[in-house]
Amino acid sequence: VSRLNRRSFLTRSALTTLGAAAGLGAGLATADAGAAAPASSFALEERGLALAVPFAGRHQAGILTPPPLNATFLALDSVAPDRGTLIEGLQALSGEARRLCEGDAVGVLELDDPPPDSGILGAVDRPDSQTVTIAFGASLFDGRYGLEARRPRRLREMPSFPGDLLDPTRTGGDVLVQICATHRDTVVHTVRELMRAVAGRFAIRWTLDGFKSAQRGPTPHSSTRNLFAFRDGTANPDVDDERLMSRLIWVGPRHGEPAWALDGTYQVVRTIRMHVEFWDRVGMFEQQNMIGRERVSGAPIGGSGEFEDPRYDLDPHGRRIPLDAHIRLANPRTAPTADQRILRRGYNYHRGVDPADDLDQGLIFVAFNQDIQRQFATIQTRLMNEPMLDYITPVGGGYFFAPPGVRGAADWVGSGLLS
Amino acid sequence: MRGTAATLTLIAGVALIAVIVASALPSGGGAFSTRSLAPASTNTGAAAPPRISRVFDSTIPAKRYGSLIAHLENGGTNLQGQLVSDLSPIAPAAFAAPIAAYRAYAVRWSNATETAIAKLRRTLARGSRAAARSAWLAAWVSYVHLGAVYGLIGPLDHRIDGLPGELGETSFGGLHRIELGLWCGAPPASLQPLAASLARAVDTLPHAVATAQISPLDYATRGHEILEDAQRDFLSGLDVPWSGAGVAGTAAAVAATDEVIDTLAPLMSGRDNTLIEVDNELALMRATLARIRGEHGGSWPALSQLTIAQREALNAATAGALVQLQEVPGTLETAQLAQPPSLP
Repeated sequence: VSRLNRRSFLTRSALTTLGAAAGLGAGLATADAGAAAPASSFALEERGLALAVPFAGRHQAGILTPPPLNATFLALDSVAPDRGTLIEGLQALSGEARRLCEGDAVGVLELDDPPPDSGILGAVDRPDSQTVTIAFGASLFDGRYGLEARRPRRLREMPSFPGDLLDPTRTGGDVLVQICATHRDTVVHTVRELMRAVAGRFAIRWTLDGFKSAQRGPTPHSSTRNLFAFRDGTANPDVDDERLMSRLIWVGPRHGEPAWALDGTYQVVRTIRMHVEFWDRVGMFEQQNMIGRERVSGAPIGGSGEFEDPRYDLDPHGRRIPLDAHIRLANPRTAPTADQRILRRGYNYHRGVDPADDLDQGLIFVAFNQDIQRQFATIQTRLMNEPMLDYITPVGGGYFFAPPGVRGAADWVGSGLLS
Repeated sequence: MRGTAATLTLIAGVALIAVIVASALPSGGGAFSTRSLAPASTNTGAAAPPRISRVFDSTIPAKRYGSLIAHLENGGTNLQGQLVSDLSPIAPAAFAAPIAAYRAYAVRWSNATETAIAKLRRTLARGSRAAARSAWLAAWVSYVHLGAVYGLIGPLDHRIDGLPGELGETSFGGLHRIELGLWCGAPPASLQPLAASLARAVDTLPHAVATAQISPLDYATRGHEILEDAQRDFLSGLDVPWSGAGVAGTAAAVAATDEVIDTLAPLMSGRDNTLIEVDNELALMRATLARIRGEHGGSWPALSQLTIAQREALNAATAGALVQLQEVPGTLETAQLAQPPSLP
């Protein structure tokens, strides 16, 4: 097909599309008038799609903000030849992310040009509670861009912990983009638009889609379940407690970090394959003892409510909750371990089957903390002896640093590092 | 899970007896009229307990009927002809004979592994890659036949069969290191030092197996988990990344499972239907494996050589067997599950 032929073909298809769109509009109006129930659920849907989480702020969104149902994690490697091009790429990434989180009308520049937005969400990109959180991996601070001296002091490559089978093609990355929104199509659209915006600047190293379990109660505060069917996040620190967040999550002025990192946080991502068929073939009693909680209610074993204190002090020999139960090792709830607590914000994943027809399902473990060594890595080392290890295989992820949020309309994530 | 199910079954059984007893009460009109039955609890504390000698529609005395129902609901007859109930746990001492039998089997395969490694060393020295690969496969499959040794022989397992990155291990030098060499172009003769070191490790295997501590719980769990590991590590290709010997490995794991289940058959028989179901599924697995081997001219195909139909048949047979094997540990409980203490 010669260039000219292709162009005339495009003109024709554009006209056809316009005609079809007009017809579709008429059909939609008729359907709305005819059915009351769909109209009301449509109104609810509209209201949800209109919800926006501010992109700008002291901290980035997507850390303390409530996790919406859908997510995609996108790990990018910079292919920019120099620092100036890297800055262009990060500005484009941040700018497009902000546009999509705030919501924007989809414009048309020229009928014979490719439209500036793929348009898969229609005439308006609704915000849909979307957050896009941008974080940097240790590899960004190698020699390429002269950033060695500005590396966050506690940022390094994620080590392979005993039992990990880390796949290099699913681990690490210069930049991690965490996209969260209520609807799957919003997330997919954002992945597509972001990659248009940074084409030629970043390559995708790995990507993984996640979903949260629906809130099925019994209360609006109940933690939702992971794919082992247990509630996940019960012991999370209270994100509304600002003093606690300063103690556990945010980098402060006294942490010896570079000034640009102030109000940022370290992000740990672990792609943990769960051997769900094997898990499902284990007795309920054993499952509960491995976790330390009752499966249905989420209460600590012997308790009745999800948020009840497990009172390890009254059970020093593990007669009620085994000493190697997951919750007991992860958070012993003692004074010396209080500053090891992390904020978990994980998503479930499902990505097909392996050659043995076992489902490839698991957890995108996400944790935010002030100091990976003091917090996440200390907990992880304690968990090395838990019986649950037989049922999981960590295969990817990485350590990242999420810089502070953007201030003002022209600011972009990473400006403090690169300006 | 099993404890709860069994308790529910018992309750159902008792309720059934209560209903039968209630039906047998002499009440106005025909003894077995269609009047609505009072809940069982209202029958207790009546002024005079009813005297029942016979159960409706049977010639069996009421007392014996109750215990028969309990057995029908919760137990059966074992291979020794004794009535057993899955509500009564098995004495730990009863595992001594099965474990001893398995130990003798495992020592035999340890010796076979030693022999196979010696042969592998000779073939490596002669330098033929094809012969060395087949000797490697024989040695590895011999070792997999041990089946239930994982976790029981300490670091020796990793020295013989370890992969890089295993829990708490940094070295990589056993069978899989030689596999890497043989399938990725290393001259066979260059692998001789690795094989010599492997042989030294395997020399200590028979003694390690003969003296390993094996608890009833370990052993009962292995009846289920040998095949779990085969599915996760062999059929997925994860543990045999270079040779793709997942089918041969799975066949060896099935043989090991067969051995464990055979030794446990006297204990499992009569308890639920576990033994019969497990035997059926394992027979299907053996038949599936034999058919696939036949279709590949009598030798084990690499995973990549399986046709879609063979792959599906093998995956499905494995999943089917596992769904029955999952009942083995619960069937062989040595203690009643105790309700954990409540939080004050």
